[in-house]
Amino acid sequence: MTTSTLKKALAHTYMTLLTLPIIAMIVWYFLAATMNFTTGEFSLDNFSFFTEPVEYSGIKLPLIWPIVLNTIVYSLMIVAIEVGISVPTAYAFSRLDFKGKGAALKFLFLMRSFPGITLIIATFFILVKMGLVNTYLGVMLVATTGSLPGLVYIMKGFFDEVPWDIEWAAMVDGTTRFGAFKKVLVPYVLSGIGAISVFAFLGAYGEWFLFKLLIFNDDMLTLAGYLAKLVTKENQIVNYGLITAIGLFYTLPVVVFYIFTQKMFMKVNMGGAKQS
Amino acid sequence: MKTEMNLEINLELNETKTYKKPLRKAIYPYLFIAPFSLLVLVFFILPAIATVGMAFTDLNASMKPHFVGLTNFKRIFSDYNLPQILGNTAVFAVLSLGISLLFALVISIATQYFLKGKMLAVVYRILWLIPSIIPSVVYVTFWKFIFDPTEGGLINKFLLNMGIISDPVSWFTKGAMAIVILATIISTISGGMILLSSAINSIPEDLYKAARVDGASEKSVIMKIILPTLKWPLMYITISDLIGFVSSYFFIMLLTQGGPMRDTTTLSLYAFQQAFNLKYYGYGAAVSLIVVFISFVLTMLLIRMFDFNQMIKPSRIED
Repeated sequence: MTTSTLKKALAHTYMTLLTLPIIAMIVWYFLAATMNFTTGEFSLDNFSFFTEPVEYSGIKLPLIWPIVLNTIVYSLMIVAIEVGISVPTAYAFSRLDFKGKGAALKFLFLMRSFPGITLIIATFFILVKMGLVNTYLGVMLVATTGSLPGLVYIMKGFFDEVPWDIEWAAMVDGTTRFGAFKKVLVPYVLSGIGAISVFAFLGAYGEWFLFKLLIFNDDMLTLAGYLAKLVTKENQIVNYGLITAIGLFYTLPVVVFYIFTQKMFMKVNMGGAKQS
Repeated sequence: MKTEMNLEINLELNETKTYKKPLRKAIYPYLFIAPFSLLVLVFFILPAIATVGMAFTDLNASMKPHFVGLTNFKRIFSDYNLPQILGNTAVFAVLSLGISLLFALVISIATQYFLKGKMLAVVYRILWLIPSIIPSVVYVTFWKFIFDPTEGGLINKFLLNMGIISDPVSWFTKGAMAIVILATIISTISGGMILLSSAINSIPEDLYKAARVDGASEKSVIMKIILPTLKWPLMYITISDLIGFVSSYFFIMLLTQGGPMRDTTTLSLYAFQQAFNLKYYGYGAAVSLIVVFISFVLTMLLIRMFDFNQMIKPSRIED
């Protein structure tokens, strides 16, 4: 008995030591944002970005509120587009028969694991030719294509779980195949749709790379792109207070959102199990 | 005799009853996958082909490509930066992978075996999730602060106060690669931790009890029960993380942008810089083709091992 208590105590000690840096990190974000480091006093000066445009080592960035609006609009649009496309696609892959389905599914697996980012040079060239550089449409199309395979794969798992009896029953009762999809299957997989919405939202909210690459107007940025601009402006950060303050303002909603929605993640098969 | 008759009847039946789907129904499934297919065609397949095509051109800022044959590839092999960059890529990928896997393993065994069912175990795992939940742009500011080259940086301040150094040390010029790897590891651990934890969690409690009754030590429980269960998840994490480390450069870009000099430039970042900083799109495409090739081989390996012909299930409604 004593040996197992000892082992537990040991495990706790190690885990606490391992976890300390992360706690320190969290504490630092709050301290850096709300403390004046030279005087060591509590101050909210860093949060003045709420009321005036940010000026940071020679670059002037627009006021934050239009950026916040951009972020919300962009993220919600991405959620709408990605859910709107991945649900019917996953349904077809899970429940319909068509020529080339096997090959298409294999290609989906390939795309899910293959890093689309390696093709960004050619993608950029194609966007230039299509005149979609420096437009939201261009960013959205590339971002959507990148995250769709993962979402379709997750969604397919949810459709696979629906018992066929339910669909048969609906069709015996006189609805069409599409009617069954709309009235029976989609309500049945609502938790899956919730999960992929959360994924889509978090992906869109954190997207800075495509904004850095494809958007040249500062007033079109989202919060992630805005922060990326500040963080990469100089080799070292000049004003930690300002950046952590904006960072907190940007991160806290996501962490809260994550805590409230994390139940959905538990239902998702992340892969890694040998299935055959 | 009788079976032959039956066979003939069957054959006849098959011939007369061949059902041809009406066009409307044959097209129906394709309507569902059309938007997805279109996006994939224009923003995945087309770029893939274009990458190969561009690698044979001298496409630059003028955006007018000329075919130059194998010039780009010859240039790759004579590029004096290349040995260093390949070395960086290998060091970055192997160290990040090995250490993050080790930590993911330790944390999951500690929280799911030694501290199973404990409240604190959940707290530990949630805390470890935080580095991967925090958006990367915010996450990197912490590392920039710790290793800040002025007196304001955490380590410098500490060492100065202790009197160990008299001038602030410029950590990013000394060990940029170590910093990049450290930041990458801390945020990668959680992904492996989730998969490994759930795999350990699926081991039935009875197995441990039986082992203890038989007098097995903790070491042999870990070696003989837990680790064999983790074989496939570990394999999956290894390959998919490796794909990530070879192909992506987000943290490096935010932390050091490949510098100082080319100390933290990996192959994929080098391709990006050639294309977007120097506007040598053709040469960048040729370099990225190597990354594409490595990623493709790893992806195929992953698919061979994990994806699953049995997942392709036929419809159970005939129409």
